[in-house]
Amino acid sequence: MNIELIFQIAGIGILTSIFHIVLKQAGKEEYSFIATLAGVAIALIMVVQLLAELLNQVKGVFFL
Amino acid sequence: MEIFQVVGIGLTGAVLAVYVKESNREIAVLISLATGLVLFLYALSQVGAVISVLSELASRANINIFYLTTVLKIMGIAYIAEFGAQICRDAGEGSTATKIEFAAKILVMVLALPIIMALMESVLRLLP
Repeated sequence: MNIELIFQIAGIGILTSIFHIVLKQAGKEEYSFIATLAGVAIALIMVVQLLAELLNQVKGVFFL
Repeated sequence: MEIFQVVGIGLTGAVLAVYVKESNREIAVLISLATGLVLFLYALSQVGAVISVLSELASRANINIFYLTTVLKIMGIAYIAEFGAQICRDAGEGSTATKIEFAAKILVMVLALPIIMALMESVLRLLP
């Protein structure tokens, strides 16, 4: 059980929200949107790798 | 006791998701998805032992292995579909969740059809 992944994703979420606030205060709305998008993409890549592992394991266990 | 680990991971994921949700809703969905994946992977590693015992029992009772694999496939489809549907429902996409469940039901029915046909044939053979 790798709980580090959950903490990593939560960290990405908190960091992107901080970036969002800072860039908004600096008047760079478009950059704040791109930063949020990049955070979501990075977290999504990490989750998708875990999802692929899960699907492979289900395939092996249940003879799918 | 591993149940404490499971409950701890679940509670940690829930707290983190709630904390992140108000600032970043997509990441909160991803956190709950990752928590569910970790817990599901752990449960699946335990299910493997149960299934090996089950298949040994089936081979001792001379049950056709085809029926056992069909039942196991249906179980796998049900688990995966339930997982995906719950994640979609958590993300607020109830209609997608309903469609996932619908597709899973159809797939289960397709897998169960040969067993139903075998049952029908044995019933017909019993009838005079």
